[in-house]
Amino acid sequence: MFGSRSGTTVGTAARSDHTDCSGCSLCLLVCPNWRTTHDPRMTPEGRAKALQHGASLEEVAASVQACTLCGACEPVCPEEIDLIGMTLDLRARLADGQVVKVMQEEMKRKAAHSPVPVRAGRLFVPGPAMRIKDDVLKRISLLLGADVCGDDGADIARALKAGVPIPGERLETFLAGLRNAKTLIVEDGFWMRHLRVWLPKARLLSLGEALSSLDKVRRGLRKTDLYVIEPRSYHGDYERLVKHYDRLQLERGCSFNLDLQRIAIPPAGQAEWILKGRKVERIVVERQEDAESFALHGGCPVVHVAELADH
Amino acid sequence: MDALSPALEAPAVEHGTLGTCPVAPDALQGIKRQQTNPARWKGEHWAAFAAELSSLETGLSESIAARGAYATDAGGTAYGLPHGVVIAKSAEQIANLLKAAQRFRVPVTVRGGGLTTEGESVAFGGVLLDMTGMSRVISIDPASLTVRTQAGIFWHSLAEELRRENLDYLSAPLNLTSSVGGTLGVGGIDVNSPRLGCSADQAIALQVVTPTGEIVECSDMQNAELFERVILGYGQFGVITEATLKVRPYTPLRMHYYYYSSLRTAIEDLQLIDRNDASDYSGILTILDCAVNLLVAFDSTEREAAFRAQWEAKLRGHGETGFALRMLARYALRPWKIGEAWFLLQRKRELFPELRRTEYMRDGLMLDRTVVFSRAVWKFWGGRQMVIPDLATSAAKFADTVERGNAVCRRYFQHYTLYCVGIRLRRDHREHYEMSCIPPDAEDWAYGCEFEPMTNGRTYSRDHLQSFKNAIYDIGVDIGASYYRFGGMMKGYIRRVFGDALVDRHLALKRKADPAMILNRDVIF
Repeated sequence: MFGSRSGTTVGTAARSDHTDCSGCSLCLLVCPNWRTTHDPRMTPEGRAKALQHGASLEEVAASVQACTLCGACEPVCPEEIDLIGMTLDLRARLADGQVVKVMQEEMKRKAAHSPVPVRAGRLFVPGPAMRIKDDVLKRISLLLGADVCGDDGADIARALKAGVPIPGERLETFLAGLRNAKTLIVEDGFWMRHLRVWLPKARLLSLGEALSSLDKVRRGLRKTDLYVIEPRSYHGDYERLVKHYDRLQLERGCSFNLDLQRIAIPPAGQAEWILKGRKVERIVVERQEDAESFALHGGCPVVHVAELADH
Repeated sequence: MDALSPALEAPAVEHGTLGTCPVAPDALQGIKRQQTNPARWKGEHWAAFAAELSSLETGLSESIAARGAYATDAGGTAYGLPHGVVIAKSAEQIANLLKAAQRFRVPVTVRGGGLTTEGESVAFGGVLLDMTGMSRVISIDPASLTVRTQAGIFWHSLAEELRRENLDYLSAPLNLTSSVGGTLGVGGIDVNSPRLGCSADQAIALQVVTPTGEIVECSDMQNAELFERVILGYGQFGVITEATLKVRPYTPLRMHYYYYSSLRTAIEDLQLIDRNDASDYSGILTILDCAVNLLVAFDSTEREAAFRAQWEAKLRGHGETGFALRMLARYALRPWKIGEAWFLLQRKRELFPELRRTEYMRDGLMLDRTVVFSRAVWKFWGGRQMVIPDLATSAAKFADTVERGNAVCRRYFQHYTLYCVGIRLRRDHREHYEMSCIPPDAEDWAYGCEFEPMTNGRTYSRDHLQSFKNAIYDIGVDIGASYYRFGGMMKGYIRRVFGDALVDRHLALKRKADPAMILNRDVIF
């Protein structure tokens, strides 16, 4: 399976790897890097085809590092290639020795701290931008009846995204803090693919799904809202979540950052395109970082989905 | 002055005076055997040419990482690598590229979505020009219902932009990665083509870079001869860089399916619907010889109601339940055909839900036909080899032709699908149709049928696939049909189908317009 060589990444149910890419270009259509560069080399297909024809790792390095890991390419791939796994594996093989050393030392230092014990039940893993928003964190905790994870594993997430192997002791302290939880709610969908493997018995939910399943949150959603789905969680569980958001749209009439294939458009660098031609009075984001992407384009207020419960 | 006017004054080419003919049955340069990859261009003067492009900042990339992406096309049976790749950025950049290519005699192969199946968008050396770099919508005019767009854009990306204005294109191939420029160069068939014609007929005006590097605006009114040759011209007479297209208000589709156990009956009903303008969309997809699906769809409740009142009772097909009962009876009487029944059941279980996915439907209406059908096509028919020979005929010849083609499919593959659709022709565009997929004897409608083997993951030898294609194309020669895919590896059929006089005239035009014969070499000429 893809990723097993490096020991740093875990694949989902990958049925094939880059050697199986038949060049249909469907990933290119939904790739945010292609949308901004119109350069096929910057897409999963471009990388796969280059490697199939003997390109060296260095020759695809710029493309590999530019990937945003949004996962939009995976649901549209007819070969069901684990494209995120492919990218992470390539990053692992490209990782600079010095960077690996520095990041691993940082992780080992963190491993020295005892894990924060948690009660059995629901646990929320916020991202870095969310962690500094005390009021939103408290609100989410209250709404979901979930404890906020003391160790958010930000160093591990950075390392995974960079293709740096995680020291066993650090992974162990991180997972020890999560193991009692029956339900894990994550803000960054990137965690999903890894937690599914590390903690197969835990129920995993994206923050967006968890909150938008609450009546009091759904009631706060208006027809004139643009609801911005966090792409990584959504694409990682596409077949199920496309139906969840479809129901939400039918019920509330709001619009989404979805294209005609129902693939989520990541806001980073594409906020202008998401807003183009839409009459939006308010933007609702699932991920705190996405609020910043829209703040630059002004014109209407941006709120976190947790704040809908107040309206 | 029309860009091609001088060419039209050139004397007609007398057959047999041209020496080695690039359209002869054994025309693929350096290779006597028919229908295979052409010889690779040997790279004369490449270094000097590359240096020239570098000085012009044309953006030539020679790394394998860049070139590898273009090694084959959707067909997956033709393989070739360019010496270098240029990603299109502007008409001026392309003009510089083509001027240099003429001077150094370097072939330039133009590629949009790469959805050719006979290697037409594969570069056997030289430069691969990737037009998808020019994918910007320039302007949308809701008042005049037109859009001006760069021609490398995928129709689907264009649809994404148009939908924000509640507009839609008229017709386009049911494939998410077909490009506008590539489609205008070959035709473009949709399930609304029986009513609205092919995609190429939607083009109002084009910006074209000629093979010698002039940037020319053309339309039916301006540089009309160039417009005639570029539309449906298989990329021989210029690179389409921008297009002005008709658009229309967006409407979701009301889709109906009727099932037949006879292919001929389904074709007769399809033509009945088309002749009487009874629906907005129509087409045939076969599942088995005894299970043929006629799809009919509408843009409005009024059109749907009129169809139900006037035409539905005249169709001889059945609804899903009625047809299922007939099939049940059929296989109860033929238990030895249990394998066939199982295949049909599997198809019903897997394919039908794909065509009705709730996220692509709203209140029973299909939101985007290309999304639904393209996803299904890639899922159920896609693969590393896609061989899709086709035949295009007049309405009168169509049923016989399809039945003969179907018999060929039966000989070569266990499972296959036929996709049949009509194409409304424009009388004022007859010149556009010359030496194209539109057969010369077609009046008002042409009909096309694609014969699509379902390989089910099996890899066939090239000889098997080639023999299948030849058997289909031989039917075309026999009955006087045309083809959508007559270029690339199938160009040995060009003279046989179109005749020497027409081909020689086009060849003379090509030689005049493209003296070094560098643009899309071996696609046609």
